[in-house]
Amino acid sequence: MPEVLHSLLERAARERPGHPAVSDRGRVATYAELDARADALAAALVGAGVEHGDRVGVLLEKSIDAVACLYAVMRTGAAYVPLDPHAPEHRLAQVLADCDVRCVLAAANAPPPAGPGVLDVGSVPPASGAPVRAEVTPDDLAYILYTSGSTGAPKGVMVSHANAMAFVRWAGAAFGVTGEDRLSSHAPFHFDLSVFDLYAAAAAAATVVLVPPEGSVFPAHLRRFVNQEGITVWYSVPSVLTQLAARTDLAPGDLPSLRAVLFAGEVFPTRWLRRLTAALPDARFANLYGPTETNVCTWYEVDRLPDDDGTTIPIGRPITGTRVAVVGDGGGPGELYVQGPTVGQGYWNDPAGTASRFVTEPRPDLPGRWYRTGDLVEETADGCLRFLGRADGQVKSRGYRIELGDVEAALYGHSGVVDCAVVAVPDELFTARLHAFAVVEGAVAEPDLAGFCAGRLPRYMVPQTFEIRSALPRTATGKVDRRALEAAALTGPGRR
Amino acid sequence: MTTADALREFISRDLPGGRPVAELTDDLPLIDERVVDSLGIFQLVSFIESDLGVAIGDDEVVRENFETIGTLAAFVDAKRAS
Repeated sequence: MPEVLHSLLERAARERPGHPAVSDRGRVATYAELDARADALAAALVGAGVEHGDRVGVLLEKSIDAVACLYAVMRTGAAYVPLDPHAPEHRLAQVLADCDVRCVLAAANAPPPAGPGVLDVGSVPPASGAPVRAEVTPDDLAYILYTSGSTGAPKGVMVSHANAMAFVRWAGAAFGVTGEDRLSSHAPFHFDLSVFDLYAAAAAAATVVLVPPEGSVFPAHLRRFVNQEGITVWYSVPSVLTQLAARTDLAPGDLPSLRAVLFAGEVFPTRWLRRLTAALPDARFANLYGPTETNVCTWYEVDRLPDDDGTTIPIGRPITGTRVAVVGDGGGPGELYVQGPTVGQGYWNDPAGTASRFVTEPRPDLPGRWYRTGDLVEETADGCLRFLGRADGQVKSRGYRIELGDVEAALYGHSGVVDCAVVAVPDELFTARLHAFAVVEGAVAEPDLAGFCAGRLPRYMVPQTFEIRSALPRTATGKVDRRALEAAALTGPGRR
Repeated sequence: MTTADALREFISRDLPGGRPVAELTDDLPLIDERVVDSLGIFQLVSFIESDLGVAIGDDEVVRENFETIGTLAAFVDAKRAS
């Protein structure tokens, strides 16, 4: 088994050159074609000065070429940094400055904000000359994924080839992925669910099929997509599947090709999971758990559902090679610590942040390096882990991880905001919606704040509703009374 | 106010992907430009149902009807007339 991520493509191209590697809205690239395109792009990157150990941004809509770009970057020995083409410039500039990229692969009509050099992927000619094969070791970084940071600066999670490969190998075996499978690619490449889609497919020389934009928005299109493309393995955040269960009258036999449905990122409401499993009686269902820092670290194969909708399914047991520990005051609930080959290398350019989350021997009986997830869990009688919640201000909305402090920091960036608090309002279909409270000076209205946030934050982090108040409620100790605000947001007249 | 203008105002004001009204032209691709996302689509449907008084079936929540403000306004007006 190869040790670096991009060798999966080389092997697939050698063994199944004519098999479809990536399919995107009717366009198909075989493994040989994807391999050749990755070669051409790698040569262009080397020509642009990219060297082993660099970072390269990838600012593209999902496409066959975007997939080739990820492989091309790895072939040069650099780490790829996938960027959200719909993020505001301010956010992109923050990420690009933080990880100091050598260059950015982009389309001529959608260049990144000023800064590093840009390589227009459309202008890259077919490769000539010897292919680029930098010497890459399993400990080199394969990619850096940026997530929301609690202080308003996104943080880059560093993942090595060995970390990613450990996950890909486990996943391929656990779900029996073969060369005849057709895997969906729903998540954007800057979201770590994409690692399974792209590389579990390549490891088996299977086909990955990119979900078109309308598939994420319209449940009816998603259903049609799965059928027309003959998707056999689906992987996404639960909210997409919840929409499918709630808004289409799915019945047994409607999605005959699907043999495995995997989900991750947040809790799948039992009520909708029940409806979905009833409509897909022959498919396997599995809950994969793991913050980006750990790839996936535990999983639960859904063999039976809780009797009542108020109980959620567990996050399960550790994947192969991984150890977990529940660290608390006694034997009850505590924070989940994770150790193993999938645990990443820390945060780029942030030794202090890395040291606070990636800890050595947190307890005498826990030797070695552990990642503190910040997730509160408990162990059930049968040895499964159950997710209970967060101890801090991190929330999930449609599977996206959002630090409330990150959103608040953006609001404080508005000169008229003197005080603010953002709370998560539970929502059955979307996990949570964000509601922002602000105290302002001068002529600032809710739509001004909405527009300001839209210019600073990724779309999924912009609060759905804003409310200007003359003051925020405080607790006896002077802290913002979040409980009172959460209660008010549930019932109050949110406006923008 | 025309249906298109009512939609424009709602999308600008209430959707996280909203933009200033002037940028929301009748032919701006709402899905490809990510103006309307997975959460926004159902905020938009509930606005059409509650504020414009037009009921929409789950099977009508499809790209063809929601492609642009122009196609959506035509769809809503046709539903209202029928």
